[in-house]
Amino acid sequence: MAKVQVLNVAVLDNPSPFGNPFQFEITFECMEDLPEDLEWKIIYVGSAESEEYDQVLDSVLVGPVPAGRHMFVFQADAPNTGLIPESDAVGVTVVLITCTYRGQEFIRIGYYVNNEYTDPELRENPPVKPNYTQLQRNILASNPRVTRFHINWEATMDKMEDSENVDPAPNTMLPPTSMPSKAQPLGLMPDNSMDCL
Amino acid sequence: TFDVCKPIFSVDIHPDGTKFATGGQGEDSGKVVIWNMAPVLREEDEKNENIPKLLCQMDNHLACVNCVRWSNNGLYLASGGDDKLVMVWKRAAFIGPSTVFGSSSKLANVEQWRCVMILRNHTGDVMDVAWSPHDVWLASCSVDNTIAIWNARKFPEIVMTLKGHTGLVKGLTWDPVGKYIASQADDHSLKVWRTMDWQLETNITKPFSECGGTTHVLRLSWSPDGQYLVSAHAMNNSGPTAQIIERDGWKTNMDFVGHRKAVTVVKFNPKIFKKKQKNGSTPKPSCPYCCCAVGSKDRSLSVWLTSLKRPLVVIHDLFDKSIMDITWTLNGLGLLVCSMDGTVAFLDFSQDELGDPLNEEEKNAIHQNIYGKSLAITMGSQLSSTIIENPEMLKYQQERQGNQNPNGAQASGPENQTPKLTNVLNGESLEDIRKNLLKKQVETRTADGRRRITPLCIAQLDTGGTAAVNSIGMKSNLLLTSASKIEPMKALDSRFTERSKATPGVTSVPLTIGITPLDRVKDSSSVKEPKGKDETSSDSEDKIVVKSMTKRKGEMEGAEVVEKRKKGRPRKDAKMMPISQPFPQVTFLLSKDASLLKLPTPSIQKSFSTQVSTDGVTYLEVENEVSVVSGSRLSQLKWSREGREWDTLLPSRIIIATGSSDVVAVACEDRTLSVFTACGRRLIPSIMLPAPMSALHCSGHFVMALTASATLSVWDVQKQTALVKNESLNPILSGTEATVSQSFLTRQGVAVVSLSNGKTYCFNSSLETWNLIADKQDSLVQCTDFRSCVSSQDALGSMGPLALTQGRNLSAGRLASRLSSTPHHLQQGMTLAFLEKQLASALILLSASEYRHWLLIYARFLVNEGYELRLRELCQDLLGPVHKSSSSSWETTVLGLRKRDLLTEVLPVIGQNLRFQRLFTEYQDQLELLRLK
Repeated sequence: MAKVQVLNVAVLDNPSPFGNPFQFEITFECMEDLPEDLEWKIIYVGSAESEEYDQVLDSVLVGPVPAGRHMFVFQADAPNTGLIPESDAVGVTVVLITCTYRGQEFIRIGYYVNNEYTDPELRENPPVKPNYTQLQRNILASNPRVTRFHINWEATMDKMEDSENVDPAPNTMLPPTSMPSKAQPLGLMPDNSMDCL
Repeated sequence: TFDVCKPIFSVDIHPDGTKFATGGQGEDSGKVVIWNMAPVLREEDEKNENIPKLLCQMDNHLACVNCVRWSNNGLYLASGGDDKLVMVWKRAAFIGPSTVFGSSSKLANVEQWRCVMILRNHTGDVMDVAWSPHDVWLASCSVDNTIAIWNARKFPEIVMTLKGHTGLVKGLTWDPVGKYIASQADDHSLKVWRTMDWQLETNITKPFSECGGTTHVLRLSWSPDGQYLVSAHAMNNSGPTAQIIERDGWKTNMDFVGHRKAVTVVKFNPKIFKKKQKNGSTPKPSCPYCCCAVGSKDRSLSVWLTSLKRPLVVIHDLFDKSIMDITWTLNGLGLLVCSMDGTVAFLDFSQDELGDPLNEEEKNAIHQNIYGKSLAITMGSQLSSTIIENPEMLKYQQERQGNQNPNGAQASGPENQTPKLTNVLNGESLEDIRKNLLKKQVETRTADGRRRITPLCIAQLDTGGTAAVNSIGMKSNLLLTSASKIEPMKALDSRFTERSKATPGVTSVPLTIGITPLDRVKDSSSVKEPKGKDETSSDSEDKIVVKSMTKRKGEMEGAEVVEKRKKGRPRKDAKMMPISQPFPQVTFLLSKDASLLKLPTPSIQKSFSTQVSTDGVTYLEVENEVSVVSGSRLSQLKWSREGREWDTLLPSRIIIATGSSDVVAVACEDRTLSVFTACGRRLIPSIMLPAPMSALHCSGHFVMALTASATLSVWDVQKQTALVKNESLNPILSGTEATVSQSFLTRQGVAVVSLSNGKTYCFNSSLETWNLIADKQDSLVQCTDFRSCVSSQDALGSMGPLALTQGRNLSAGRLASRLSSTPHHLQQGMTLAFLEKQLASALILLSASEYRHWLLIYARFLVNEGYELRLRELCQDLLGPVHKSSSSSWETTVLGLRKRDLLTEVLPVIGQNLRFQRLFTEYQDQLELLRLK
């Protein structure tokens, strides 16, 4: 039984210029006092092509966590533009928020992110080398994709094997340890995702 | 119809009938959804946007959900899925509606259901789950060929794993008596297991030898009377059937035939029915029968009555894909059916079609007849192992156990407490906090230089070790469509009738459905030979029958009305009699006409004294004809209490003198009545009575006069009003030789008259009726036995007018032991009737303490004997409406006792029977809620 449930993630400062920090206000509920901290990460997917362009924007420990409902704001700097393939800078990509406990990822929240020029001129004729100062980042906050994983919440690691940590449906779910390839956790781009862009 | 894209594998209606759960495939997980029943049942509720259709959805299952089942007490929902898990859900109180994070829908979860337990044992998909009667165990079966029996009071403890099937186990059903559990699997067998030792009782293979493992589920079902077990997919001469297995000897001589493809699900109606009486045309009018719905891969549904050889109704092409699950409403008149095609259909029947459902008590009586015990009571031995969900309940149970058995250890349930969120925001609004959260939150660096944020606690959780889960949804189409597509639901009713009429083609593929013996017709062509009647689909045939029936019924009713009127008239005349013969009071003077002096008058004594009013000893002394002044004889009345005294003179001889602590009343020979205060001041000028006084009583400010002409008057001398005005005793005296043997006035001003024939009546001034409150000859009194319901403290509480009239020697069940030949259920009924009479009598006597006394005995009796409906009615009346409403006529008090206080006293009594823990929790919670208000 998962001891931590994410109740809400509010995307703050959205849409915003590309260079602004990401801000997520995360509300979660914990069933009992956690002896160890939770570790949260924001991962920016640089390119849909390969996860080698994934950037961990920041990781933060959250604790102590007594039983109850809690909230915090997770702020992380914008991605390093130098690590983003130029061809992928403009358009739709993904930002992931993950949470791990005792090194095991138990939830992954993904958002589509649309980066585009606000200037119609630039939009019509985008420069070959992306002009990041003119890019606007728009996180599709209304449509988070949430994936949960069963993990072992107890300290005894030896009991972790089969039942607790096994992924019951490998074909529909990513194994918690492996880093996903970009678009996979989100599935195919839904048609309606463009509606709000 | 709930039009959803993903298959729905299971559907189950909550025991209180207000909601139902569906389980199936979600977008990329399993999905459990709880729906509101009201919009399904009533069109106006469906159109009312304020009534939610969807109550809660849970996406916690990682893969398709194959089965959802409510516990019998309605507190839990169990779900089993392809993720090999069984989840147990419980509603989290104290948490209001919230939207589901991660769900694409803006629909809020109206109710919060949280997974309180995950049961891991199976190594393959869980196909079916089933709660045992009284929720002692939860069984789950799986494609790993095993059945797990979970201890429902100590999840996740496994009581036993039933091994023996050699194929995928796809269906489970408990015997309603609790003796067996049956399972059906792909290994061509149906196995019945004993719950006593969890060993195999019988293994039935013959009807299944031809079956291939082609169905996703094999949901079998046990009839509510326990007599029949009906399998899912069985074969008989290469035709798909549902095999009927008799409890008696596990005989397999009958089956439900007619579906063209394998039967996936069989579900018995929870009710037992008896034929609606229609003009005495039924040969066996009192023979009860069961009703069973059968769903198949052929997308059709058939509904059978065990009293009919042919199906009551067959609905073809109800869905686009196979039927997966069926559930009946609690009243037995409606059913929900779900299909692989992602829809749920609701069908409802009228009582004309199914018959009159037996109530729980009648059902229990049937069980008692067959099994020698009523299910309501017998589970006692097993009840000790039932879950106790409520801490209050636990307390009462422990108290009870402590009394009975000091060593009795009582296990508590896994989730005794509901998580309570306590707000810790110190009055600051959440919005304010959010604005500054980033600035305010405490961020530090760890030794290794990492950021560490201390989260702001916005609510504390008093979990008491409770695990609670808020469902986080994946994006799902189900959400998008469910709300908008809910409307056509109601349309289905008409669809199923219209269809069969509009498509006569259906009849060209005649279904011969009937309970046929094993030597069934082989040749399918002979099956097709239709005989006139058979040509219509059984569906429309049924329609015709119903129509003609209603017609007949109409005529019959008309006749009845006429008859009633005929009967009614003379009765009315008889009632008019006393009115048309008015009492000849007017002519009544000092005449000594014996026939008119119905009641004896006391003889006139020279002097007498009486003690009145017990608190502060008060004496009244009367001395008639103390002196003669100018020709008239004066009589003296002397009052004395603890040294104080007064006296007064009256111009006529005093016949009766009496008093209370407040007043003194004196009746004289000249038919006058004088009333004085306790200090001797005259309150009213002499009251002229229509006849000599027979009996006179005072109580508080009330004065009661019984005249020789058998009339009763009661006055409130303080308010100077008449409570009873010259009311004749004729209704109680006529036709008897009896005369008034005793009379008295209660403190509340209720006149009570006992007759020499042992009957005691009181006069109710608001009803203006004489009410029989005690009868020494009453056989009910003689045979009742509620000794077990009387506690030692109760004995003290039984003082009052009711006890006075019935005599203190009324010992419960005094004769009951001698009449041991009285069958239990008869005595049970008599006791019930007696207790209800006591309660009503106490009420009419306005005797609060006795009302409370009998109420508690009554409640204890109901609890012991398992009368749930009555108990519920009682609690409901005591609780009253939770929300204030101007239209409500509910009184908050009864006889000056606060009803909700009474309920607080009754609840611990209910808490002693685990069977009623749902009831207990329900009212406990509501009381708590009201208290908080």
